[in-house]
Amino acid sequence: MSSFSRSAQQWATFARSWFVIDARMQPPGKIASMCSIRLQGKHKPIYHAISDCGDHVVVINTKEIAFSGNKWEQKVYSSHTGYPGGFKQVTAAQLHHKDPKAIMKLAVYGMLPKNLQRRTMMQRLHIFADDELPEDIQANLTEELPQPRKIPRKLSEYTQEEIDAFPRLWTPPQDYKMK
Amino acid sequence: MVFLSLSCWIRSRGPDRYWKVQEVLKHARHFRGRRNRCYSLAVRAVRRAFVYATKSRRIKKRNMRTLWITRIAAASREHGMKYPALMHNLTKSSVQLNRHVISDLAITEPRTFLSLANLARARQQEGFRAALGDGKEPPGVFSRVVFLQ
Repeated sequence: MSSFSRSAQQWATFARSWFVIDARMQPPGKIASMCSIRLQGKHKPIYHAISDCGDHVVVINTKEIAFSGNKWEQKVYSSHTGYPGGFKQVTAAQLHHKDPKAIMKLAVYGMLPKNLQRRTMMQRLHIFADDELPEDIQANLTEELPQPRKIPRKLSEYTQEEIDAFPRLWTPPQDYKMK
Repeated sequence: MVFLSLSCWIRSRGPDRYWKVQEVLKHARHFRGRRNRCYSLAVRAVRRAFVYATKSRRIKKRNMRTLWITRIAAASREHGMKYPALMHNLTKSSVQLNRHVISDLAITEPRTFLSLANLARARQQEGFRAALGDGKEPPGVFSRVVFLQ
């Protein structure tokens, strides 16, 4: 989400850091909590709730976030249009298919304090579905945040030697039929 | 020289009720809507405001402590420590600084704060070593291996 209004951008231009975080194979909640701390400025010792000392956060690769458990099917995002019968419910998978930025945005929005600064802080959050950034944002980036979760390797990424050397709990007998 | 109390000494300067109303409205002049000029609305609002003010004198202390804790937590994260670990180990090292002073140090004297964080980390490692002994498990007991932080 790039900012439509410049009101949130121009103050303290050189005092704001721009963090970038790669959301590939990361749990959205953990990414969102890291974002919300930095958007509020709670990572600075000079923090005060009304001093507007938050930084910019750029989240890339939100298309490839990873929910754990059965959240893709069972986590439900609800909204109401305001009209009779306008109660909408979509699962996380459906929402992600419709808009790959939406889950990340909602997660951060829910973690920010519910006050008048919330919209301003959200303007400093820039979400991108893939890893291509526009030039103006690319030029501002100052720091990359480490990913909270170590990406597990796929079985196809292991070499045959590593697979053979992996300790086994149980060795199947010769006549065992693999399902 | 401005002498403000002179007008209060003059006798017979209007009905008492007028001055009684002014005493209340004095505190309500910055309120919103008709509450800053209508007595019957203002008197309720002023009483409510005074109740809030009384309660907030206590709450302010609580809020300030929360703010100091937030700031110390932010500063200690910069040095790779968590707030509870920092405060616990500073207490163990008999550092008798309160949260107000530590948060001030974190803002105005970052290097002093860094030395405090180093002290706390050293005390933490010492505590881990003391708890683990020689790092070996007792015989006949299976336990998870404890990694030093």
